[in-house]
Amino acid sequence: MNDSPLKISHLVKKYNSFAAVNDVSFEMKTGEIYGLLGPNGAGKTSIISCIVTLQDPTSGDIQIFGKNPHKEPLEAKKYIGFVPQEVINHGYFDVYEILEFQAGYFGRSNSKEKIDYLLQRLGLWEHRNKKVKALSGGMKRRLLIAKALVHDPKILLLDEPTAGVDIELRLKLWEFVLELKKQGISILLTTHYLEEAEELCDRVGILQKGQLLTEGPTRELVRKLTKRKVFLKLRAAPPMNHPQLIGMNEDLWEFLVSPEKGVGELLEELKIPIADLLDVKIEEGSLEDAFRHVLGTL
Amino acid sequence: MITVNEKWTPFITLYVRELKRFMKVSVQTVFSPLISSGLYLLIFGVSLGNSIDLGHNVTYLAFLIPGLVMMSVLNNAFQNSSSSIVSGKFSGDLEDWKISPLRESEILLALALGGLTRGLVVGVVTFLTGEAFYYFMNGELLPVVAPLWLLVFLLLGGSSFALFGVTIAFWARTFDQLSAVTSFILLPLIYLGGVFFSIETLHPFWKLISRLNPLCYFINGVRYGMLGMSDVGVYEAFIVSLIAFGAFYLLAHYSLKRASYARW
Repeated sequence: MNDSPLKISHLVKKYNSFAAVNDVSFEMKTGEIYGLLGPNGAGKTSIISCIVTLQDPTSGDIQIFGKNPHKEPLEAKKYIGFVPQEVINHGYFDVYEILEFQAGYFGRSNSKEKIDYLLQRLGLWEHRNKKVKALSGGMKRRLLIAKALVHDPKILLLDEPTAGVDIELRLKLWEFVLELKKQGISILLTTHYLEEAEELCDRVGILQKGQLLTEGPTRELVRKLTKRKVFLKLRAAPPMNHPQLIGMNEDLWEFLVSPEKGVGELLEELKIPIADLLDVKIEEGSLEDAFRHVLGTL
Repeated sequence: MITVNEKWTPFITLYVRELKRFMKVSVQTVFSPLISSGLYLLIFGVSLGNSIDLGHNVTYLAFLIPGLVMMSVLNNAFQNSSSSIVSGKFSGDLEDWKISPLRESEILLALALGGLTRGLVVGVVTFLTGEAFYYFMNGELLPVVAPLWLLVFLLLGGSSFALFGVTIAFWARTFDQLSAVTSFILLPLIYLGGVFFSIETLHPFWKLISRLNPLCYFINGVRYGMLGMSDVGVYEAFIVSLIAFGAFYLLAHYSLKRASYARW
């Protein structure tokens, strides 16, 4: 199994004449967390729906470990675990039965050990005999994750897994996601929480109106697309015509510089001796800045 | 490489799910039909039956029992597969099937077998209720004359209607559409198929119409299996039932190919 966990080539998904996904290509590496970011309607869920075969692509190719899930579903789908945005109700069945069925659909007949592990790990053990409607929102979300993992997938697709989830559960979920990554599971996630994406994702792709505008390693993108803010407290005012001086707040002079530029280099440019520097504060660019830069809203 | 266990487990799981689904609401799915069958037997078979002479030394109660058994099988087989799919569309369960390695043929077979099983369970309950009434009225049990034919027609009819349920449920876009098919197509076909009367008693025009109804052959096949007599020859009934089964299968297959698994 040397192929990439997920390779998408020139994917197009049209609803009538509207292109929800327009010529998107990217490839994941084994064991990485890849974040698909974009505003509502950017095409994130459409891409995931095409991968899990809930939607048929209009054109393009999807490969899961070298298998197209639409053409070789039996081989490709067993690698995929999918956590949808919306909770599934399952009416008549309790949590344990739901997990047994899910494992069975993926060909796992003896899954007790795995189900027990997931129920305990995700804090659902006490609720295993409850119906979905008796679970809280957070527990429902955890059930979705247990369902996605019950057949030991190699790639996990998380579509807004923390939407509407409280902070404590969100942190626990991300902790669990990092644990899965350590186990070698590749993870594709969509989220609106850019701070979390910055912390979790090895690489990100930024989508807008169905097009992948940019992608790359998260830190590299932030470095490439943002500037750092340097706040200097000085004995005397700096040259007011310096192009990177953007303002003054209280007694701090604010400069917007490229990520490569150090404070020493800035002081040199300003012709300010180090003895006149009283204090310094630096704010690095964030993924949110990079995101807004790419979308043209910065 | 897919092992034998991996190959059959998805289908078996879905079939078991279908069984558990209707057994969890067995009061509604199994025992409620018992009440309606009991009422039909009491009102038509016992009260009115004494004033109906069918000839052939067959009482109206004996004539009614196989009709009610088949009606129960057809109704419940249809209800099981259709309600499973429709409730799955509503709750999102169908998405689980779609994203899993379940084949379309496995989904079709599991749903058809699930519907058939419920149909047969309710059919047996109806038969036992009919036997109790018959024993009460005649002091003996109604013998089954041709059990193999009985089994053949129960299997063909039950499978056909479970497949019909799959077709309609995947086609339907709303609950209204599903209930419209039940009210305007299914019930007239069942009632005009000869559950309560012999088509020999009908005007030639309506007799012709009844003969175009595939249910007439399912019902008369079961009647032949139980009583050894029916309005239609047993081989004719068998051939038409087999053709009808093939048609219902093709319809269900086509419907599944074009099916949307999206939520309502």
